[in-house]
Amino acid sequence: MKVLVVNNMAPFLWGGAEELAAHLQRNLTEAGHQSEVLRIPFQWEPATRIPSQMLMVRSLELWNVDRVIALKFPAYLIRHPHKTLWLLHQYRQAYDLLESGQSNLPENEVGATIRNAIVAADGEAFKESRRIFVNSEVTRTRLKKFNRFDSEVLLPPLNDPELFTGGAGQGYVFAGGRINGMKRQHLLVEAMAKAPPLARLVVAGPPDTPDDARQLERLVEQHGLGDRVKLDLRFLPRSEYAAYLNAANAVAYLPYDEDSLGYVAMEAATAGKALISAHDSGGVLGLVRPGETGWVTEPDPEPLAQAMASACTDQTTAARLGAAARELWLRMGITWPRTIEKLLT
Amino acid sequence: MKIALCSSFVPFVYGGARNIVEWLESTLLAEGHQVERIYLPHVDTPERLFTQMAAYRWLDLDAADRVICFRPPAHVVPHPNKVLWFIHHIRAFYDLWDTPYRGFPADARHCNIRDALHDADTRALREARHVFTNSAVVSQRLRDYNGVNSEVLYPPIFAPQRFHCRGFNDEVVYICRVEHHKRQHLLVEAMRYTQTPVRLRLCGTSSRSDYVKELFALVNRYGLGKRVIIEHGWISEEQKVDYLAECLAAAYLPLDEDSYGYPSLEASHAGKPILTTSDAGGVLELVEHGRNGLVCNPRPEELAAALDQLYEDRHATERMGRAARDRLEELDINWARVLNRLLA
Repeated sequence: MKVLVVNNMAPFLWGGAEELAAHLQRNLTEAGHQSEVLRIPFQWEPATRIPSQMLMVRSLELWNVDRVIALKFPAYLIRHPHKTLWLLHQYRQAYDLLESGQSNLPENEVGATIRNAIVAADGEAFKESRRIFVNSEVTRTRLKKFNRFDSEVLLPPLNDPELFTGGAGQGYVFAGGRINGMKRQHLLVEAMAKAPPLARLVVAGPPDTPDDARQLERLVEQHGLGDRVKLDLRFLPRSEYAAYLNAANAVAYLPYDEDSLGYVAMEAATAGKALISAHDSGGVLGLVRPGETGWVTEPDPEPLAQAMASACTDQTTAARLGAAARELWLRMGITWPRTIEKLLT
Repeated sequence: MKIALCSSFVPFVYGGARNIVEWLESTLLAEGHQVERIYLPHVDTPERLFTQMAAYRWLDLDAADRVICFRPPAHVVPHPNKVLWFIHHIRAFYDLWDTPYRGFPADARHCNIRDALHDADTRALREARHVFTNSAVVSQRLRDYNGVNSEVLYPPIFAPQRFHCRGFNDEVVYICRVEHHKRQHLLVEAMRYTQTPVRLRLCGTSSRSDYVKELFALVNRYGLGKRVIIEHGWISEEQKVDYLAECLAAAYLPLDEDSYGYPSLEASHAGKPILTTSDAGGVLELVEHGRNGLVCNPRPEELAAALDQLYEDRHATERMGRAARDRLEELDINWARVLNRLLA
């Protein structure tokens, strides 16, 4: 079958969704299909140009394609008689982020008109799709709440699970992945100032901005944590990243209201590592069950310090929780062959 | 520099129109530029031309310092630093209008579509900082139909140093998609009339199995099985390099093609003469009869005589092979020049 994966691109940026589209394409090919990715440029600034870009996608003609799998707004507006959505996200600034005051839509009549156009176009696109899958429970709930469409959760599998072999904990908590305010690595560093001296923390990953890096460095200096907190702030090769994770006692991942399980949590569970997260971390909590697979605390330094202390000092508990996290993950059965099969039903 | 390469495509169809984009992309990346390749779908249906053109016009590529556009309607993309490497018009509304390839009636409705398209194309062409084309044929059409001047910038092939010459065997090779307008059948028919033991090898994939069947049927009908080999299917780049290194000459005889075609360029890099026909279009911008190849009328008997000549007069064949390389230098076909011009 000729399967076209349709996704957005922000010119000259490469993100998680693009990575997912590339892996989807590769796995479709491995499953014996012909597959290509159509990447449609989308710039959401200024917001007044969003409607013309929606029209752009809607005006494109597809030919020589048996199936479309579309991932993001506005790429999923593309017309095709056999379109399946695997919704990674809608234009959140017209929905939940609008409600929480984090939208780029102007607060006036123009903004309201743009918002209405987005909602109307979404409704049409969802109605004409054969199936709607979503990447997380959060996305599913949001779609139901704002657009009244039902969908099925289909979690994106890991792309290189073989790297996460696990191993004996070396007494530190690992925090990996992109570094920014929403991911809240700064809370972990602040927690270290309140944790007992035995606790250690490794933060490794690419900072979104130089300010994100400086904030962490300043906190380490301010609290004199140089010997207990290691900052490795850069884009790491996958093998180095996995080595950090495989030798950790536990993995901390507490983004604010994440849509999905999050690769960091999935990698930790694959490696059999206990997880530390926060009550408001959203989809991540699908893998972090307090007392069963890890610790879930308020997003404050005090309670986080306690969880990190337990993870670093009580090897037995950390190992038990980690094993349970791995079991929970494997039970979910999230693999590429199964995902492809679902998307093509 | 942040460079966006923008072209139209048909999903799952691969060929020359993608090569020019992707080879340029690799070359720009190797030179340290940031490159984003944008392919948007396009279908040539007259009724849907203008909505699709509008779609391309709504594209926001402000993040790029420069946009290089290839296949239409990518040329309508708005950008202050737009450069076109124009490879063809939507031909049914231009040079193919008065041919059976038009595919729809020349009624008032379609005449109006044609006029509106010419107008829109001309405006988009005039917005560009500079217009390059892939051949003198296309440049001439831009002048005739749109009144726009352009510069011919011949597209090189990727990593041409792979190609080399190891000698001259008895085989003329035609390595190209196997399609009716590439006219492999003319060569098979020519093999009926050859007087020497010259052999023919056809390699390539085809979008139409009936044409391939027709070729096999011709071979059987004329009992050419020992002297004509048809390798239907994809051959590796290494295999192609090998065939060209050993062959006597390369054939390339499409019907009225816009540009010289990558097969004739590959043969030239391998130091082999090119056999083509007087109606091959852009190929004749590269091949000069008796100098770097042979140009004959598109008739089996004349092609047969040319095949025999290549076989018999080895001295001339080898001389023309060497001249094929010189001709590339004369036309300045290389990536350094392409980058120099496109980024000027």
